[in-house]
Amino acid sequence: MRCRVTGFVAVAAVLLVVSTALAHHSVSGQFDVNKPLTLKGVISKIDWINPHVYVHLDVKEKDGSTTTWALSTLPTAMMRRAGLTRETLAGKPGEEVTIDAVPARDGSKNLGWINRITYADGHSFAPTGQ
Amino acid sequence: MTYRALIGSVIVAMSLAAASVAAQVSARVPQRGTPEQLKQLSSKPTPKLADGRTDFNGTWDHLGGIEFVRPQTKADGSICLIGCTPPSRAGGPPPAPFPPVQTDFPKYKPEFVAKVKDLTEHQVKYDTVLQCQPPGVPRIGPPSKIVQNAREVVFLYDDVNGSFFRIIPTDGRPRRKDVPASYLGDAVGRIEGDTLVVETTSFNDETWLTDNGAFHTKDLKVTERFRRRGDTIEYSAIVQDPSVLAEPWSPKGQMMWITDVEIEEPARCEDRDLEHIVDGSHHDNPR
Repeated sequence: MRCRVTGFVAVAAVLLVVSTALAHHSVSGQFDVNKPLTLKGVISKIDWINPHVYVHLDVKEKDGSTTTWALSTLPTAMMRRAGLTRETLAGKPGEEVTIDAVPARDGSKNLGWINRITYADGHSFAPTGQ
Repeated sequence: MTYRALIGSVIVAMSLAAASVAAQVSARVPQRGTPEQLKQLSSKPTPKLADGRTDFNGTWDHLGGIEFVRPQTKADGSICLIGCTPPSRAGGPPPAPFPPVQTDFPKYKPEFVAKVKDLTEHQVKYDTVLQCQPPGVPRIGPPSKIVQNAREVVFLYDDVNGSFFRIIPTDGRPRRKDVPASYLGDAVGRIEGDTLVVETTSFNDETWLTDNGAFHTKDLKVTERFRRRGDTIEYSAIVQDPSVLAEPWSPKGQMMWITDVEIEEPARCEDRDLEHIVDGSHHDNPR
């Protein structure tokens, strides 16, 4: 693949936990929980909408071009319950983050569900555990 | 590796991972609505208005059906929302199931059971709540804020699908006869001691009573009861739709408690997911 996407086999226990959680919430009907991938890039936009917040991640390709991923996550009420805001989710301007995600099942390119965002200082946001 | 050895490895890995994370958990978002909190709040005096009627005014917390979200924050600022470390290992209450186990469901007349089954198997296609439409009553749950005066009670909802309101006359005026059918219906109310009783009719038939294909007709009538005890309200409802239901149905009751956290204008609802769901799988909609 041209983009900096690194597929990996996660720890079996983690996958088991996540897959179980997602399977109950229809995420598995939209995203392939068995194809985890890792993206590195800069969050360019947060769509603070319901029923699912969307994080847009600009990923630099090897050829210098940029691919923007649209990554879905939980509703705003669940974010608020954890004290998360649009701003805290976005991180610092220009900050490179790592997002563990799973891709869309219908073949849509650059569409995924967030398993974890890890920010430059090492702290992370994991909507569905791990 | 044998199957048994593989499972053993997974269990060991899970235990190690859970223990590792548990050791790092240094803070937990305070739990709201615990039995101890509710007992203390309900033991307070029940406030009255100047005219002697029970006071239902206030902003009310009821967790919005997402009590299974139990965020945990680690020392480095990392946040986990759902499916976090088992609190029994981290020193806290046991986790709520994810999503909440739905055990209450209306009983339909035999001739409508097949329709319910078909609707629930195609929920992604037919459930309008997934399309950002108003959830209807009682699916919307208790209100987030109640404003009361001598003539009426106003319910305000901060819902995942948007801001909604209901105006409920309580001064004995006759029910309006020119009201078009709507998602949240036409309500009238009365105050019986410490209980606000709200009877709602004139619904459209575009909503469901709950998940899983629980359709209703325009004959739907919902009676909700709000019993104030101290700084809490016990919410319950009875659903009647005799043309399709075999018997009246009562969804699971909920507790509401006063909060000083004001409601906000909810984020706009804009579905971007349904067109990408490939198998029509079920989607829980806790409220």
